[in-house]
Amino acid sequence: MSLMVVLAASCTTEDLDPALDQNKDANGGITDVDNLYAVIKGAYSRMTASGYYGRDLIITNEVRTDNCFSNGNSGRFTTQAGFAYSNTTGFFWDEAYAVISSANLVINTDLTGLEGDMDYGRHLQGEAYAIRALVHFDLLKQYGQIHVTGGTNPGGIPYVTSYLSNESSQEELFPPRNTVEEVRAKIFEDLDMAYDLMEDTGDTNFFSKYAAKALEARVAVYFEMWDRAVDAAEDVIDNGGYSIVPAENYVASFGSDGGSNIIFELEFNSTDNQGINGLAYIYRTTGGGSYGDVQVLDEVADIFEPTDVRGLLDGENGILGYEGDMLRNMGKYPDNQGYDNVALLRYEELILNYAEALMETGGDALTQLNKIPANRGASLYTEATKENILLERRKELMFEGFRYDDLLRTGSDIEKTSIQQNFAATIPYGDSRLAWAIPLAEMDANSNMVQNKGY
Amino acid sequence: MLVPFLVLCMSFSFAQEKTISGNVTDQQGLPLPGVSIIVVGTSNGTQTDFDGNYSINASTGDVLRFSYVGQKTVERTVGASTSMNVIMEEDAQALEEVIVMGYATKSKADVTGSTVQLDSKQIEQIPVATVDQALQGKVAGLSITGDSGTPGSTTDIRIRGISSITAGNDPLYVIDGVPMNNPNISATTSGSSLSALASINSNNIESITVLKDASATAAYGARGANGVIVITTKSGKAGKTKFNFNSYYGFANDAIDGPTPLTGAEREMLFYEAVYNSFGETYGLNNVEEAGAFARANTSYGAAYQAWRDAGSPETNWADLITNKNAVLKEYNFSATGGDETSNFYASLGYFKQEATVIGSEFDRISGALNFTKDFSDKFTFSSNNTASYSNQDGLLENSAYFSSPRAVKYFMPSTDQAYNADGTINLDTSLPNPLWIAQEDIDDSKITRIITNNSLRWETPIKNLAFTTRANIDYIAYNYKRYRNPISGDGDGSNGYGWQASRNYTTYVFQNSLDYSFNLGEDHQFDVKVLQEWQKNRNYYLEADADNFSDVGLTNLNSAGNPTTANSTFTDWSVASYLGVVNYSAFNSKYVLNGTYRREGSSRFAKDNRWGNFWSIGAAWNMHKEGFMAGAEFINNLKLRASYGVTGNAAIALNSYQALLNFDSDYNGEGASYPGSFGNNDLSWETSNTLDLGIDFGLFQNRVSGSFAYYNRESKDLLLNVPLSLTTGFSSQTRNIGRMENKGFEVEVNFDIIRSEDFNLSIGGNVATNENEVLELAKDLNGEEINISTDIDRVESGHPVYAWYMPTWAGVNSDTGNEEWYINGVDGETTTNFNEAERVFQGGSALPKITSGMNIHVDVKGFFVDANGYYAGGHKVYEGWHRYTQGTDLYPTALYQGYNTLLDRWQQPGDEARFGKFEYTGRPWQRHSKFLYDGDYFRLKNLTIGYDFNSKFTDLLKIESLRVFVRGTNLLTWVKDDNLKYDPENIDLSGLSDGTNRGQTVLTTPPVKSVVLGVNLNF
Repeated sequence: MSLMVVLAASCTTEDLDPALDQNKDANGGITDVDNLYAVIKGAYSRMTASGYYGRDLIITNEVRTDNCFSNGNSGRFTTQAGFAYSNTTGFFWDEAYAVISSANLVINTDLTGLEGDMDYGRHLQGEAYAIRALVHFDLLKQYGQIHVTGGTNPGGIPYVTSYLSNESSQEELFPPRNTVEEVRAKIFEDLDMAYDLMEDTGDTNFFSKYAAKALEARVAVYFEMWDRAVDAAEDVIDNGGYSIVPAENYVASFGSDGGSNIIFELEFNSTDNQGINGLAYIYRTTGGGSYGDVQVLDEVADIFEPTDVRGLLDGENGILGYEGDMLRNMGKYPDNQGYDNVALLRYEELILNYAEALMETGGDALTQLNKIPANRGASLYTEATKENILLERRKELMFEGFRYDDLLRTGSDIEKTSIQQNFAATIPYGDSRLAWAIPLAEMDANSNMVQNKGY
Repeated sequence: MLVPFLVLCMSFSFAQEKTISGNVTDQQGLPLPGVSIIVVGTSNGTQTDFDGNYSINASTGDVLRFSYVGQKTVERTVGASTSMNVIMEEDAQALEEVIVMGYATKSKADVTGSTVQLDSKQIEQIPVATVDQALQGKVAGLSITGDSGTPGSTTDIRIRGISSITAGNDPLYVIDGVPMNNPNISATTSGSSLSALASINSNNIESITVLKDASATAAYGARGANGVIVITTKSGKAGKTKFNFNSYYGFANDAIDGPTPLTGAEREMLFYEAVYNSFGETYGLNNVEEAGAFARANTSYGAAYQAWRDAGSPETNWADLITNKNAVLKEYNFSATGGDETSNFYASLGYFKQEATVIGSEFDRISGALNFTKDFSDKFTFSSNNTASYSNQDGLLENSAYFSSPRAVKYFMPSTDQAYNADGTINLDTSLPNPLWIAQEDIDDSKITRIITNNSLRWETPIKNLAFTTRANIDYIAYNYKRYRNPISGDGDGSNGYGWQASRNYTTYVFQNSLDYSFNLGEDHQFDVKVLQEWQKNRNYYLEADADNFSDVGLTNLNSAGNPTTANSTFTDWSVASYLGVVNYSAFNSKYVLNGTYRREGSSRFAKDNRWGNFWSIGAAWNMHKEGFMAGAEFINNLKLRASYGVTGNAAIALNSYQALLNFDSDYNGEGASYPGSFGNNDLSWETSNTLDLGIDFGLFQNRVSGSFAYYNRESKDLLLNVPLSLTTGFSSQTRNIGRMENKGFEVEVNFDIIRSEDFNLSIGGNVATNENEVLELAKDLNGEEINISTDIDRVESGHPVYAWYMPTWAGVNSDTGNEEWYINGVDGETTTNFNEAERVFQGGSALPKITSGMNIHVDVKGFFVDANGYYAGGHKVYEGWHRYTQGTDLYPTALYQGYNTLLDRWQQPGDEARFGKFEYTGRPWQRHSKFLYDGDYFRLKNLTIGYDFNSKFTDLLKIESLRVFVRGTNLLTWVKDDNLKYDPENIDLSGLSDGTNRGQTVLTTPPVKSVVLGVNLNF
């Protein structure tokens, strides 16, 4: 009895401290450069989310084009493919800013207060700058108003550069939208920082020096800053040591991790993957067990020559293939369980960016452009026109989430080319549906936010 | 034990033992059955039979003690006579019902707030797995909806509305004086939930008291805001050991059938219609028949219909196939109670089993209890209440529209798919995994072992009327979960089998020390004082692993899996420290009652500087019928005015919410990773509710008419609100103490004993409660704009009920075009076919009933009796989940999945007035709007029992005390106001998933059952 009394009598405020066995306090939780390494891995992990590069961003940019549609097998992506989304249709706004939050935590950490290798610390901060640039770029393309209003008010998206916590100011916690110009400038600033801080590690599962530069080339092409694109691409080509994967290895390269053509990819494996919410599960039914909503438009088979490894290639050896009478992406993200890495920066894309920038600046674009078909079992081009470059981009990067941006940045309509497409009629360039609505949850929480046109 | 035995021997030797017999009656001369008679100082005792007769062996000089509930105890010394008739007198004080308040017990006259007490007769032998389901309709203002009818599942209980927007709204349970957690213990969110309450055998419960107002709940301070459910288990009764055996056996089916799926032929016809409407013009199809031929030749869906036709158009009734018709329900319970002068015990052993009404699911529980009390001496009493149970829930995948969920298959699998192959084996080539195969091969098992041991020692101190009690309670729950997916067909076929196992140790300790002191200031002023100190700590260890690629079919443990994919373990804890003081002042024999409660409580869920909260209440009652001026009004037996006001709290938020944390449950590149996990708030503290409760209790004409009338108003403030953050912060919300919400309403309870006699009794009663919920204030952002919380169908905004329905308003189907239309402004006037153009507006009301009502009737005639009670809820609306697939006018119900036959009321040609628009060859996005928002009003006959108590001639013959047989029907009748609401009106997920999904919507879980059981209850 006395034991009970003692136990009960000794309870104080300190006795009420809860256990903290799985977490660390955010304030003062980062004391070593290795802690920063853990946080930067957390940022990559967030990028692998199903709502972001794990599936949704890539798929949404395919089903709204002349590549793919949603057959609605499990009810997924018909809304996106039909341009029927609203401010309650979830997309990657929240996932994207969560990645930025992780990146900012690394960037905002004062290295001088940490234990460990300072050079490595700076490299990690460089990775964080590159991540921050990439994610804001993705947000700008989906939520910005460049292709709806021309980018005037509202134009860009909030560019968040500090880690926000319960100690942040009210102004920081309720950010307004930045202009497109501001966002663009900050992306380049961050990429410059990233390039300066990072080493060329050669580890393709993480951002490295030339990955930042390759991304800079992509951003420059998007904004039609051709000289900058040429410079950036040449830096990667001259110093990165990457090469185009040859035709005979092309299909296999998507089933294996890394490779000479990979500049940066997100890592997935047997213990860390999106499984049924991953890319493979939505691209194929795999004998009926998977969702398989995202089907390839029948006409797509015709854009490839029979010898092209990216097409049907005897009906079964290329990237394309059939499940029953349904044309499918069989070759990219082949593992049904989602164990395959997802490439974000491939050397082939850089070459095509380079070719396009050269074409726009009067350089020798044809040589660069033809490096791709030459390694795919396809005929060479005789002329490096914008049209040819976009066609080659479509073929080479199909199913990887590039087509939609390519159409918009070149001012194209989203054409109704097939009865299979989920939208009823051509969506003209400038239509408000080309940009996503700012999520209702954001509008509810932040009265400084201005909704996009048409929502 | 040795000494009394010797004494007994001596009395055998020296005293002359004889048989004393006689009759016990009340003052009106009516026989009193069940009066306990004991020879004082021995363990020798008996009871009067049905006619008030008894006989007992005693010796001259022995003292016989006669005791009976509500009567003054009588002691008589045995004299020369062998006959002893006793007339017992009513004990005015004891007659008044005793209300168990958890920490204390009060006479009903001293209660100043709103409480409802159910005794064991209203609880035992109700054929449900969790005892909370017995409360519906019996407690005014208490509403229950079930997330699932799978036996053992959790329920959503709301007492007097909803007090919190994003913190918990579940009431607190108190078992034998100890606050007790009964959470969903399940490890899975996709599979069946499992309430820890399912481990409690309702037959061991003596009473359940529901505390609704502040004067009653403030004693639980912190956690009392959502109401308190006080459970008291049975204790031993002195006297000869008595035994009870009770059992029932019966069958259950779905309470209502639910929507009727389309037949294959109907589905085919609608598909052709979709083809015709979409492509008729383009391809020159003149009618639906031609469209059918075209579709069969040119589309893959049409080709599937062609194949079906070639097979002879066989129809499959999946609804039938997934249903476990006449699911067996049974319970056996055996208990014994007895005792002597210094000790008593209650012991029981019970077994309960319920099959679900869906294939492949059942629940069973074996439980034992031993409650023991022993007086160590005049001063020390030791009491130990112990229960242990082992429950096994064979659950299923059900909390969404999972392809492998048999309940989803009922509504999603095409009638054109075949269940069996020609050779009678299970067909595995179905659109969704064949539920017959899944039920046979896959595993979703939850096992829970729960041991509760509650031990106390009471010391009557040398100071008169001052008692000290110390108590230790350990509640130990061991939980195991096993999931297995076979590699042949279903969710495991992509990974060659999948297995997941989880184990949880959930232990809660409570230590209490208390002092009780009673004193008088003069004869007319009685004071009862209690001070109590309490410490409660919960520890939750969790361990799980999963793996795939099983080495052989039929081996289901992780041992046989080739590829381990997850290993995870966590430890969390929480603790609560409290100090409580209660004073009860009762003047002039409870004519005036005044009480006060103060509790100071500290919770580990809050920041160090804000951990402690102060909670208090005051209550007053005026028992007017005790006034002299009422003496003339003899028809008034009870008239009490009561009022209470107080502050209670709520701390039901996620653990560690106040801390800004880095999480480490992430990985990348084969290594661990970390990320900012929670925003934190160093100012986080208690959510509080101020409750006013006013009431009148009355009893007229010898209490033939009795009841109460109450008004309540509860304003919750400093709400523990997950205030949405701009998502640009990387976080979705921050938990803050902000916002106010109000619940108010009236409650009326009334009971009529219309006929009271020895052979014939008739009583009717009922209750009605209203609830008006309104959000008064929310957080504001830096521009002063209110921060609302929205989904695509509901919204939290001040001036409206919490989670008020908020969506575009359906304007009907255009009879010229067949298109569905919505009002552009959300109310009236111009319509649009562009869903995104339609304004979202409040639709009036929420999913929480505004009116609830219970009704009961009891008749008994010469041992036969009928009991019935019903429940009504209304004034709320519910939303139909999953209608995109099952009620779409596109390919979902006609080609991909399956629809309901409600779709037959569709537009076909200009001029048609129809509920559904024209079918088209497309897949429409989710468009949630008022067409699928239904009135939720319903009435349900919860219980109908017909039984017979055998009379004394029969029981005497069998030498038993009593015997009852009965037939009990549960949920036999249901009336639903809105014809469009085809689902069970109680099969609503009131709280929804953490992100709001499902909230207020019909769900695809197992619905509530209607059952009929045949039961027996034997005392001997």
